[in-house]
Amino acid sequence: MNTALFYLACVIALSATGLALTRANAAHALIYLIVSLLAVAVLFFLMGAPFAAALEIVIYAGAIMVLFVFVIMMLNIGEEGVERERDWLRPRFWIVPGIMSTLLLVELLLALRDGAAFGAALTSGQAVAPKAVGLALFGPYVLAVEIASMLLLAGLVGAYHLGRRFLVRGGRH
Amino acid sequence: MSGAELQAILPLGILAGGIILVMLQIAFRRHLATSISLSLLTLLATAAAALEGGADMPVTPLLQADSFARLFTVLFCLAGAISTLLSTDYLGQRDDEPEEYYLLLLLSSLGACVLAYASHLASLLLGLELMSVALYALIAYPNKAPLPLEAAVKYLMLSGAASATALFGFALLYAGTGSLSFTGLGQALDANPETGVLLPVAAVMVVAGLAFKLSLVPFHLWTPDVYQGAPSPITGFLASVSKAAVLVVLLRWFSDANLFRFPALVQTTAVLAVLSMLVGNLLALLQDNIKRMLAYSSIAHMGYLMIVFAAAAAPGQRDFALEAASYYLIAYTATTLAAFALLTMLGAGEGGREHCQLQDVSGLFWRYPGPAILLLVALLSLAGIPLTAGFLAKFYLVGAASGSGQWVLLGSLVIGSAIGIYYYLRVVFYMSRRPGEYQSRPGMTRFWPVRLTAWLLVAAVLLLGVLPQPLLHYLASIL
Repeated sequence: MNTALFYLACVIALSATGLALTRANAAHALIYLIVSLLAVAVLFFLMGAPFAAALEIVIYAGAIMVLFVFVIMMLNIGEEGVERERDWLRPRFWIVPGIMSTLLLVELLLALRDGAAFGAALTSGQAVAPKAVGLALFGPYVLAVEIASMLLLAGLVGAYHLGRRFLVRGGRH
Repeated sequence: MSGAELQAILPLGILAGGIILVMLQIAFRRHLATSISLSLLTLLATAAAALEGGADMPVTPLLQADSFARLFTVLFCLAGAISTLLSTDYLGQRDDEPEEYYLLLLLSSLGACVLAYASHLASLLLGLELMSVALYALIAYPNKAPLPLEAAVKYLMLSGAASATALFGFALLYAGTGSLSFTGLGQALDANPETGVLLPVAAVMVVAGLAFKLSLVPFHLWTPDVYQGAPSPITGFLASVSKAAVLVVLLRWFSDANLFRFPALVQTTAVLAVLSMLVGNLLALLQDNIKRMLAYSSIAHMGYLMIVFAAAAAPGQRDFALEAASYYLIAYTATTLAAFALLTMLGAGEGGREHCQLQDVSGLFWRYPGPAILLLVALLSLAGIPLTAGFLAKFYLVGAASGSGQWVLLGSLVIGSAIGIYYYLRVVFYMSRRPGEYQSRPGMTRFWPVRLTAWLLVAAVLLLGVLPQPLLHYLASIL
């Protein structure tokens, strides 16, 4: 049954990603992308890596995707925007992502019921706790953390300069 | 991390410290001259610290400090300093907030230096991404022209896809071997000679991802457009440092994990080499834009360099092949920077447009003899004419290829170089046109630091070609 759940989550992840790629509307694409990330998190969980699953949800599906959705929503202000948003929220748009997410939730609950023995059946590895991750990151891999912080600085400075071009032009016109 | 470990990676520490300093300076008080001087000082101090030497030791599992890493740190920092100097005049006409540019250039150089030290797939990926992410922003930097933005978007999309492919390959490698460090990978492959499908698939994905960064045929399609759209000083940096850094880390990976013993992998590099040499040179023939021509020529040069992987497969030839590769990388970096230095020095057209058509250099010998000599030396070196760095570099490659009996590769090298001479000399032919035979007359920068840098590059290219013994002895002693 573990394997069946694993493949079900795989199918959901792949089909949600495919749907995200083919949606013409950015808001709908994002919903499917979130479902896809949730499915990947469930995959991690089924394979006995609950910490990776939690990070996937907190960082990708949580922080980054919600930021995207916010930006898209904020671009639709005013009467016209309200109409458009109502249009987006018709059942035929949310019913498929809803079913996918429900399936994932059921999988998660089944996995939780079986407890710690669950992941062992699928992989030969051992579960890594948050403490071990922290010790590795600030022990042998501390330089990786430092280089990654430089990488983020490069991304931040670059995004600032590129974004500024549109801010300045926007103010001028 | 111990004190000795910190001491061993002092150059990286200085560079990172300089980056923080420049960032704070820009945040508190914008001042262009201060940013430029701080950047230059940081790069030169890093190069000096790397020249000073230090202990050869592994620093955490991620980095390996040794003479090879320090040599290329010096090269990348000097190339970064040259790009900084060349940009000073160029950027003034094309952007209204140029301070961050120098910060990004420092960050990109740091990524290249991390690659020179990397001995682990995690540091390889982080170094590669640090270099590339800073480059995306640098390519799109001039905010008064649309072409750079287009080039940056192309590079961002394709390079992101290539990185993701390589990363997937790394994950499969880890699944197959249980190790991410270069030496660990080699040992795992020795202990457990896997015959399944996992490792070949991983190898294909990693090769595809890294071949994209080196713009080897058939992963080269982005190169001409990105080179043409990017600001000239950045194109020089992209063509020299970003490629040399990837090649350096590949050389270290191949020798640490002894990947030369896998014939399929070595044959793949040989096929990429032949394709790049022939396709790159043939397509360069068709170009009227000097930057696009140099893009195809850089594809061909990376093809020449890939010969060393096949040459190093013969155990007796390995040190010689690595020596040839190191010398070629140094010569190629100096030459490429010199070629793009001239394109940087040509004055801007309407709306910051760059002058880089063949027409734009017509009659350059009569109008600006000094800069024309710079381009002449660079082109002769790229073509591999004696007395320049490029000749000796190619000579070394021929030696490595014939020593290990790689006759097909050697044949492609000869054919490619013969084609190359035609399109390099075509530019020289345009430059020697008499007045009255041309219309376009772009100006030339009068800013003395830029001119000084250009002359230093000419001197470096000639010196490497005429007096290479000190460098060659040094290379032989560290490999």
